[in-house]
Amino acid sequence: MIALFITFFAAVVILFLGLNKKESSFSNLAVVALLASSICSFCNAKGLCNFAILESWVPANMMLFGYSEHMFASLLAFISAVIVFAFRKNDNLGTDQLGLIMFSLCGAFMMIAYQHIVMLFLGIEVLSIPLYVLAGSKKESLASNEASLKYFLMGAFSTGIFLLGTAFIYGGTGSLELEMMGIKPSFMHAMEGMPIPTLINAGLILMSVGLLFKVAAAPFHFWAPDVYEGSPNRTTVFMATIVKITAFVAFNKLLSTFGGIHNTWSGWLCVLGMITIVWGNLAGLVQNGVKRTLAFSSIAHAGYLVMFLLILDESKTWILWYYGFAYAMASVLVFLISHQSATDKNPVGFDMFNGLSKRSPWVAFALVVGVLSMAGIPISAGFDAKFYLFSFAWQSSPWLVGVGLLGSAISIGYYFKFIKHAFLVKVEGDETAVEYNDKGLMILIAALLLLAGAMPWVLLKWVF
Amino acid sequence: MEIILIPIIAALVTAGLGKRSNVWISTLLSLIPLAVLYTYFTRFGVDNGWKTIFDLPWISDNIRFTLGFDGLTGMLLLLSNLMVPVIVMAGIRDDENRVKLTALTLFMQGALNGVFMAQDGLMFYIFWELALIPIYFITLTMSGENAFKITLRFFLYTFIGSLAMLASLLYLFLHTADYSFSFEALRAVELSRIESIWVGTGILLAFAVKIPLLPFHSWQADTYTHSPAAGSMLLSGIMLKMGLYGLLRWYLPLAPESIEFFQPWIIGLSVAGVLYGALIAIRQKDMKRLIAFSSLSHVALIAAGIFTLTAEGLEGGVLQMFVHGVNVIGLFLVVELIEKSTGTRLLGELGGLAKSNRSFMIFFMLLALGTVAVPFTNGFPGEFMLLKAVYMYNPNMALLAGLTIIFCAVYIFRMVQFSMFGEGKHEVSSLKWNEYVAFGILSVAVLLIGFVPQLFVDVVHSSILQIVTWVSEAKGVLS
Repeated sequence: MIALFITFFAAVVILFLGLNKKESSFSNLAVVALLASSICSFCNAKGLCNFAILESWVPANMMLFGYSEHMFASLLAFISAVIVFAFRKNDNLGTDQLGLIMFSLCGAFMMIAYQHIVMLFLGIEVLSIPLYVLAGSKKESLASNEASLKYFLMGAFSTGIFLLGTAFIYGGTGSLELEMMGIKPSFMHAMEGMPIPTLINAGLILMSVGLLFKVAAAPFHFWAPDVYEGSPNRTTVFMATIVKITAFVAFNKLLSTFGGIHNTWSGWLCVLGMITIVWGNLAGLVQNGVKRTLAFSSIAHAGYLVMFLLILDESKTWILWYYGFAYAMASVLVFLISHQSATDKNPVGFDMFNGLSKRSPWVAFALVVGVLSMAGIPISAGFDAKFYLFSFAWQSSPWLVGVGLLGSAISIGYYFKFIKHAFLVKVEGDETAVEYNDKGLMILIAALLLLAGAMPWVLLKWVF
Repeated sequence: MEIILIPIIAALVTAGLGKRSNVWISTLLSLIPLAVLYTYFTRFGVDNGWKTIFDLPWISDNIRFTLGFDGLTGMLLLLSNLMVPVIVMAGIRDDENRVKLTALTLFMQGALNGVFMAQDGLMFYIFWELALIPIYFITLTMSGENAFKITLRFFLYTFIGSLAMLASLLYLFLHTADYSFSFEALRAVELSRIESIWVGTGILLAFAVKIPLLPFHSWQADTYTHSPAAGSMLLSGIMLKMGLYGLLRWYLPLAPESIEFFQPWIIGLSVAGVLYGALIAIRQKDMKRLIAFSSLSHVALIAAGIFTLTAEGLEGGVLQMFVHGVNVIGLFLVVELIEKSTGTRLLGELGGLAKSNRSFMIFFMLLALGTVAVPFTNGFPGEFMLLKAVYMYNPNMALLAGLTIIFCAVYIFRMVQFSMFGEGKHEVSSLKWNEYVAFGILSVAVLLIGFVPQLFVDVVHSSILQIVTWVSEAKGVLS
């Protein structure tokens, strides 16, 4: 809860400060506020400090911050802080956008801590509406406008479907509270011969559609490549990391509630996961644009994370936490480097990395670490994340794990494009050199990925 | 742990210093692990099994960062930590790639030390892959025109082999009682014969590519020929030993039930490889290519010796691993120096080099004699033990494999004769201090092993006995 409060008030303060000053000098304030919410939630989870007074403001049957919720809030706030800091020199960064990012993050906090579907719905809306605006914040760019409109139309539509599912679930179970919702169907399932009402099944499917849309899982991923490509880089990273992790946490909570009847939904979810992995990776292979490739890579990662939903073990949320951490850090790193590498001559294609190893070896090193972590190559956090995910999902969904391994192998094909262009392609003489800012940050993130990859258990023992 | 970390830090230091680093600094940095290794020998000894000397929970409580030490590990560590300084000292040319090459070589030293010490299956796999990365960059960025094609073939071979090994290790992992990757837990998994053959196939595939055994060797010659000298030295001198070490350390104990199935195949392929490599080497004009095929022939004999499963074959194999490392690195160094002075390494264009530099010729001759396995040089005892072991297994095989001694003399002396003697228009420049030291280390190794091989065999004796016991126990269960 503390993270939600700090972020919200900081956002309001920043918005008001921005009324007087037009230039973007408040990024540092936002970073401090986000780091503060991250640290406070972490301390709260560890019991180092207690903000119980805040918890009492919202009834426990609406929203509840337990240990893992605090940890996820801490992670999300930390990632947002990194994103805001990394992209603080964004060309069209106004305080309004800073505020919108932080409001969106508030929605994410609501989504991870919800105990009531209404709260989940509110969270989705609070998360999404600022993003619709942010996607179109490059006002003069046609692609950005297109992204905004597409995201808005598809998002609004999927929210409608989600609401319809909510209505069905309410009709079938008589409650929208997480604790009450699952009881009736599980009970009915436990009694032999009692079929699950179609209303509940249909409701669950429709709600899942809404959430699968948010994580960009096939076949609800069509918006992702266009929106990712058109949006400003900072918004894209935010969508690829915060939104995805949040939606998976929320989705996991929802499905755990219906864990008693998991054999009614695990089948189609597993198939969707397979389709997502295969489609995301195969389509990623044939892309020419960096951001489009990364968009398909993020679709594939959504597919891997479907395995997590099928594990159905409350004590295993740390897998999602670690995976989210590894994936988000690598995404921020790769997006940051490609953001700074883009020139007028090479705005989208892989040619922007040509000769990077010669121009700026440390940036090339960071890029390699980020890309290898996404691909899941050992001694990067991405490998350990995949290892945990795959080895724990092996019992519940062996076929999906098999497809996941295959997909990981395919994905190396497009991840190596980055390395190939950075190390192998020679540049002709008068290439205008790109100046990289924040090299320190890039190296730091890369080092973090390597360190977390080299000793994940030390980190996880400390965190969970 | 230090012995893995120090070279990696040294690599970072070298990369950080850039042009300011020189041969002195890199040599000193590469020598530190040798001192650490000495303390390992004195602290932990070589008897009483594979002792755990470092242990930390890594990916979970049962997948740990565990390092072990015993005679076998010590021998391989001695090889890598003695030879990397030689490579860093004399094998790297002073051009624009020097810093990069030195840093990658030092990094490789750390990864190789990890491979030889890993006591956890997953860790072994990861260091195995990590050792591939520097050599991948070396061949990719420094081997001339066909770099991409050569590297791709090398990479695909090794990567597919490694994946097969990973699949086998994962299969064992999923069958352990407590989801552990530790050597002991993997070894305790009870496999049926069929399961064991599949698991063995996966593991063997990775090692067979690396060694390389006959049908998996086609990446070798091109990669050796076109890499810079340091790359060829690392690959042939030390990296191949990863495959042989893997056979001894991981394949034999983990899947002993499958050995009876694979034994005739592997020995047959190895002996075929011995002859094939030797015969092709005789016809080579390029010195590097000649050494590549001679290496194929020598290493195949080691594989055959190991698969006889006798203590003698295994001990001879380990000794010969060390010896082959010394000799092949020495020969590549010779070729590198010739090429640096004359600009060519084709036998047809060389000749009469002995006149210009006597001491160089003496070192070359010593290494050549060692490779040919003349008595009182290092090649003799190991080769003798290996051939004897193969003879005990099957005299006909030994007869065929024994031909290699003759063939080897033919191609090595042909190389010496065409390059050093006769008439020629080229000269070898006189040796610098670092080259003297490098050749000095190599020569001492050649003569020391030649005169007192028992010194080295004793180091690995208890480790080998342990492995042989495990294998014979597993055989006892089956029959």
